Amino acid sequence: MSNLEFPLPDIGEGVHEGEIVQWLIPEGGAVAEDDPVVEIMTDKATVEIPSPGTGVIAKHLFGAGEVANVGDVIFIISSDGAVADSPSSAPEVAEEEKPVSAPVVVEKTAPADLPAVTRREDGKVLAAPATRRLARELGVDLTTIRGSGPNGRIRPEDVRTQQSAPPAVPTTPTAPTAPAAVVPTFAATSGAHEEERTPFRGIRRKTAEAMSRSKFTAPHFSLIEEVDCTDLVDIRNRAKVASEKYGIKVTYMPYIMKAAAIALMEYPQLNAMLDEEAQEVVVKKYVNLGIAVDTPNGLMVPVVKDVHLKGLLQISAELAEVAGRAREGKAKAEDFQGSTFTISNAGNIGGILATPIINFPEVAIMGVHSMRKMPRCIGDDIVARQIMNLSISIDHRLVDGADGARFMVRMRELLEDPALMLL
Amino acid sequence: MSDLLQIIDREGNKVGTVPRVKKEVFLNMYRAMVRTRAFDDRCMKLQRTGKVGFSVPNRGIEAVSVGAAAALDISKDWVAPHYRDFGIMLYHGVSPERMMDTMFGNEADSAVGRQMPVHFSFRKPLNFLSISSPLGTQVPQAVGIAMAMKTRGEDGAVLTTFGDGSTSASGFHSGMNWAGVFNSPTVFLCQNNQWAISCPSEQQTKSSSYAIKGEAYGVPGVRVDGNDVLAMYRAVSQAVKRARAGDGPTLIEAVTFRMGGHSTSDDPTKYVDPELVTYWEQRDPIVRFSAFLHAEGILNEAADATLREEAKDEMLTAARAAEAKPVPVLTSVFEDVFEETPAHLKKQSAFCVDHYSSRGEGVNEKGEFPL
Repeated sequence: MSNLEFPLPDIGEGVHEGEIVQWLIPEGGAVAEDDPVVEIMTDKATVEIPSPGTGVIAKHLFGAGEVANVGDVIFIISSDGAVADSPSSAPEVAEEEKPVSAPVVVEKTAPADLPAVTRREDGKVLAAPATRRLARELGVDLTTIRGSGPNGRIRPEDVRTQQSAPPAVPTTPTAPTAPAAVVPTFAATSGAHEEERTPFRGIRRKTAEAMSRSKFTAPHFSLIEEVDCTDLVDIRNRAKVASEKYGIKVTYMPYIMKAAAIALMEYPQLNAMLDEEAQEVVVKKYVNLGIAVDTPNGLMVPVVKDVHLKGLLQISAELAEVAGRAREGKAKAEDFQGSTFTISNAGNIGGILATPIINFPEVAIMGVHSMRKMPRCIGDDIVARQIMNLSISIDHRLVDGADGARFMVRMRELLEDPALMLL
Repeated sequence: MSDLLQIIDREGNKVGTVPRVKKEVFLNMYRAMVRTRAFDDRCMKLQRTGKVGFSVPNRGIEAVSVGAAAALDISKDWVAPHYRDFGIMLYHGVSPERMMDTMFGNEADSAVGRQMPVHFSFRKPLNFLSISSPLGTQVPQAVGIAMAMKTRGEDGAVLTTFGDGSTSASGFHSGMNWAGVFNSPTVFLCQNNQWAISCPSEQQTKSSSYAIKGEAYGVPGVRVDGNDVLAMYRAVSQAVKRARAGDGPTLIEAVTFRMGGHSTSDDPTKYVDPELVTYWEQRDPIVRFSAFLHAEGILNEAADATLREEAKDEMLTAARAAEAKPVPVLTSVFEDVFEETPAHLKKQSAFCVDHYSSRGEGVNEKGEFPL
């Protein structure tokens, strides 16, 4: 099988990265030379990239929404069509996490009669003219420095660091001249102080941008409510058994989602957004719940739509489906769109309360925390109860504290006496 | 658009007097227009796949450059072009491969890799000045060349082209003024494609047209339907005739539309109304001229289809040939200014080779640019 790797070109003048907007040909799809393969957005323009050859798209190395650097291989074309004809032969390509090498690397063969000089493996020392001058002035040999800049470029700081680095001579402790207080001697430990640098991009960067926008735009206030879930535990255990015959596993989350949908229809100011451009408050008359999911790729928020119209079984099934797709990295764009309110469930990992950051431009996000058996007073008796905390962060521009508190009280009522959800 | 010179309308119907030329001239014009679009398409694809660094879309303006080119006698007329002029070269027989050499900046490139892609320059088969990116600098240069022709008593004319945005640049005004005062044999062709990058005409000028600007300099102005290749041919022919007869310069405004971005670094969807694009697509210069040729019995469906396929293949072949050629040698940096390389440049050349060789770059006499 012959593969053609396609590195992201500089599609503007001096562009150094591009975001994958969408793949126009899926993995396994056939392409002819010049067919549009992918839409790329740079800070200058959004353009379609045509196929450089004919064959089958063997692999996308970046997902939609991810940012690739110019020079990163973004897709691989298999020229003999083996992937499409027999998918079983695909894995040898598909399992490849990273391309081995980009085809753009120009072979450079130095002629034999060149003077032997010290240089790095790739034969290049990357440094700006100003850095080179600094190195000359300080008497530092650039070929001995590891650059900390992009692509290993040597920066002026690297030259200065190299120059001021003390000579590597073992220090011999000198004996104290006068007997003083007894100083405890510590075993000589030397931490390696290792650091790792990874590019700030993809989902990490998208998350960072979304969080900053939310936190710096919406003034957050948070409040916490305690919920006695003893009855809910009982009901859910029975539901779990009853739902098995449908092949659906009912967890606590669908109950919390159902309660949230009811409470949001009653307190719709929490199910809203601020249209800043139009200077209008948009109150949603339907409930689409974003559920924050911890995936191997980071935080994702798949959406279950029209929760206010659906029963527990359906909510359970749809939640399992979208969350599963998000975890496996197979989610579609619409799986993440249209939420009106978000629930974050970090409770199964740990923590008893939180101040979550709103999934902007929504106005509130609710955190669900771990359920624990705790001693509580029922009348004058101390009894063991199943206690869970709910936390909520709310955009104070649109919602006042009292409304937030009313919403949370309603959540508590519904979850402490789930029969109320039937009304 | 009643003040607009038009010979064939958007359906290809005759609405003016068709120039009396041989059928071959019509066919050559049409072929050049189709090849211009094919060359443009190929360059866009080369850029999007990272094979060339840059291109300038020529889609939609083919009639302007080809119609003007057809009016020139390249044995004596010169061209001081701007960057949306593929059609002038292709009409006059510059081979697509030589143009692709410039796109790739390879060792066969007439500018030996020292210019950006698209910045063509040719001495043969026509005198086509090197395209410069700064706006309007070619206008006074064209006037200067025309003055030299006049002083020498030659009967050549100089065609200079520029966009609507360049009419705001100083070169346009100084060039027009000189040409008006000294009656230079210059043809000023303003390609009004509605956009100066993203700046629309209504923000470019308060004049009622670009052609009217000639009045300020005593230069007659003509507005032409720039998507009508025959109207372009007629207008430029008359201007060239005036120039040769010693009657001085003419300013021609070709009203057209850039059916693509300003360059490959531009995203026109951010500022061009899609309805406007549809409007101009219905006025496509190639579609219109094709309809005319079919109606006149000069071209049939089969020949048209063949011609289009051939143009596509021709450009792909040219691109592959240019891609296969090596980049210019390092030492070429020191050539071309002096007939005989002076000692100080020889010294610098030797130092340069030595320096890059020691770092494993640039290599030897047949090496690469240390880029």
